Amino acid sequence: MKAKDLRSSLEPVWCKGCGDFGVLKGLTSALADLEIAPERLAVISGIGCSSRLPGYTRSYAFNSIHGRALPIASGLKLSRPEITTIVVGGDGDGFSIGLGHIPHTVRRNVDITYAVLDNGIYGLTKGQASPTSTEDFKRDRGLAGRGERPLNPVLLVLSSGAGFVARTHAGNLPHLRSMMREAISYAGFSFVHILAGCVTYQGPQYGEAIYQRCDMLPPEYDPTDLGKAMEAAQAERFALGVLYRRPPDATPPWGSGDPATAEGIWPALGSAEAKRELPAQG
Amino acid sequence: MKPPAPAPATAVPPNRDLTAGPAHSLVLALVGSGGDGIALLGDLILAMAARQGLYGVMVQSYGPQIRGGESAAIVRISDREVQYEGDQADVLLCFRLRDLKRFQGSVRLHPGSVALLDREEAGELPDWLGTTQEEPYRFPFARFEDGIEVEGPPKNMLGLGLLCRLLGWPQALAEDALRQRFGDRRERMQANLEALATGLAADGVPSRPAPAGKGRGLFAETGNEAVARGAIAAGLKFFAGYPITPSSEVMETLIEELPATGGRVVQAEDEIAAMGMVLGASFGGVPSMTATSGPGLSLMTEMIGLSSMAELPSIIVDCQRAGPATGMPSRTEQSDLYHAIYGGHGDFPRVVLGVFDVVHAREVMVRAMTLSERFQLPVMVLSDAYIAQRRQIREAETSPRQAATRERWNETSGPARFDLSSAHGVNPFRVPGDVGGTYLAAGIEHNAEGYPTADTATHQLMNEKRFRKLTAIAEETRDAFRTLGEAGATRGLVAWGSSYGLLREWVVAHPEYRIFLPEMLHPFPLEAFTAWRQGLEWTGVLELSFQGQFHRYLSGLTDLRDVKSIARSGGTPLTASELDRYLSEATT
Repeated sequence: MKAKDLRSSLEPVWCKGCGDFGVLKGLTSALADLEIAPERLAVISGIGCSSRLPGYTRSYAFNSIHGRALPIASGLKLSRPEITTIVVGGDGDGFSIGLGHIPHTVRRNVDITYAVLDNGIYGLTKGQASPTSTEDFKRDRGLAGRGERPLNPVLLVLSSGAGFVARTHAGNLPHLRSMMREAISYAGFSFVHILAGCVTYQGPQYGEAIYQRCDMLPPEYDPTDLGKAMEAAQAERFALGVLYRRPPDATPPWGSGDPATAEGIWPALGSAEAKRELPAQG
Repeated sequence: MKPPAPAPATAVPPNRDLTAGPAHSLVLALVGSGGDGIALLGDLILAMAARQGLYGVMVQSYGPQIRGGESAAIVRISDREVQYEGDQADVLLCFRLRDLKRFQGSVRLHPGSVALLDREEAGELPDWLGTTQEEPYRFPFARFEDGIEVEGPPKNMLGLGLLCRLLGWPQALAEDALRQRFGDRRERMQANLEALATGLAADGVPSRPAPAGKGRGLFAETGNEAVARGAIAAGLKFFAGYPITPSSEVMETLIEELPATGGRVVQAEDEIAAMGMVLGASFGGVPSMTATSGPGLSLMTEMIGLSSMAELPSIIVDCQRAGPATGMPSRTEQSDLYHAIYGGHGDFPRVVLGVFDVVHAREVMVRAMTLSERFQLPVMVLSDAYIAQRRQIREAETSPRQAATRERWNETSGPARFDLSSAHGVNPFRVPGDVGGTYLAAGIEHNAEGYPTADTATHQLMNEKRFRKLTAIAEETRDAFRTLGEAGATRGLVAWGSSYGLLREWVVAHPEYRIFLPEMLHPFPLEAFTAWRQGLEWTGVLELSFQGQFHRYLSGLTDLRDVKSIARSGGTPLTASELDRYLSEATT
């Protein structure tokens, strides 16, 4: 299976050089690596530049409304656990209007993967500050929210109790692909923080400048140590890699695992419909 | 319209001829404080009535206190189906006169009423209650030591004993009802049974024989329970909701009863998430719904537009309460009509149904499910606090009628997900898992494949396609209304929702009136309404909405010149005497 098997015929509207191309490529590559068939895949988003991504995938795709992708994905996964469910979006969609849904999706431990392209700006509405815009950037550009500190998404998700948290950069495709692969494979809620720049409202160099502030986690890093993960999340420089991976819970997360035993509600387990409806994956 | 004032007590109604043996119906008003167990007492009386094959209804009134405070239950028992508790009590049971004050306007007596009061209380019944010619019956409910009330036998059980004597109900019936309720809690049972026996042994209790039942058991449930069970019968498999008065029992009932049918309930973090989860499950092919009240409906509004735009079936039950903002959460009103029909940005089709009573609550859910699944759009079901919170006795079983399901796409059934040429605007639904069926569902305007577009012509064509559903639905539901009264009556009333219960009885005593009540509020059965209006000399639109939302809505559909609006704010439900007064003002 190849990444392009999971691409639709639609051409992206993103600006040339946008990090979203990397996310699309990395995500479809990871899904192809895992042999996820298009009909077994749902990609769901809210609104924003990166939220256009579902339409570019060959999947049961849903480009919904601003900030609400997580509840929609939860409803799908909790009723159809055999569907691999991915949520993609941006920092405004996820950490501003949609923030309230994150800890609740985490505490339900719904088995979905949430990938956020975080460029610290609202691109689709043409360049306003986001909750992750730095104070320097807001001051330099005369944006609203000077004096308001940026939010730390990784720390937030960790402290909410997520079992899998990774960080990557949209410009490092092999790393992004591998982080997505690990996140999708994790049984439970998984979060991937994808750093990027906005070529249009931050300039072409901004994304690269962020990458210069990134370090790969060292090989000896123990991702099962929550304390270390919290430290890494608060460090001055951005640590890339799997920051935290809790050993899978004794009780499987909602909407996870083998379709034959998963706590799904439809088709009814053991029914003829269920057998007809669930062809072997891949 | 003037706000409701307590109406003066009128003469004994015809069915309360005290010399002619048992009445067809008896109204008991039970008043106490928190801890007295008034609601339990009402529940028990109703359960005992149902057990004998009597019909009945119980409504409760309570203050904003979480616990404590005054509490009243009005229980009406009858040998025929009733959806209205009446506006005069035949029997008043009150443990403390000062608790009555809060229920001024909801509790009234007539000349033949009997009051059961505490022996130690010297006070007189307040004037607003209406005058009864019967001496109150006094019983030592409270126990005193040195002039201070101390804990004694449970007052509600003493009261139950007295009421059994009064109604002519056997001790065994009460004991069975208690056993059903407290079966395994032996200590509590013992104290209850003793108090019950004490009450039953009292001397000189006045007699108000209950009507005879059918002898076969009937079934009591609340409006919220009926909504939940109707939805299950219709094929519901996923529910997400958020607690809110007066709808929470819909979710609570589903938590108890939906999993056994293979369904799932999620208590979401807020109403936006609840509606989002409903749409996610529906996107997955699963029949889904939520239930809420006004504030929750406001929060869900953007999602309801998405449901219509992305063509995902959904059901939203709104148990209306008095608004706006927080309003009066435990009080009824019919003021979410505008929001249900018009709420939300942009043009989008949705269906709005009204609930008449507890029995209808089950039936209407089947229609809601059928319409949402077949036409792939949001269906709103407007209940209200009056129906949601009342307990009503009904025939035990209605044959479960599973709703129609959405037409399922397969590789040979072909059209694009949002094909413009489809009959009635509906295309087969593509369910995740269907090989070759992948598509983009979107809240953004889209072409036939679901891909985003900002093209004016496509937007127009898509709106036409989506709204074709409403045309088909209007045709299919043209008989979704009820009428009351005789065809020859020359005065007409138009009403909706829970007004049905009162009007059904009221019209019998007012043969000069006939009544039109739509089940389909939107799209409205206009043809039937127009035909019904023929021959009317006077027409009024009756509702619990300060603005007269229903009257104004109808004015936009048809010529309502010369039609009066009879509208007041919600709070207490309309009563017969209040309606008489409004009509005499409006028609003179």
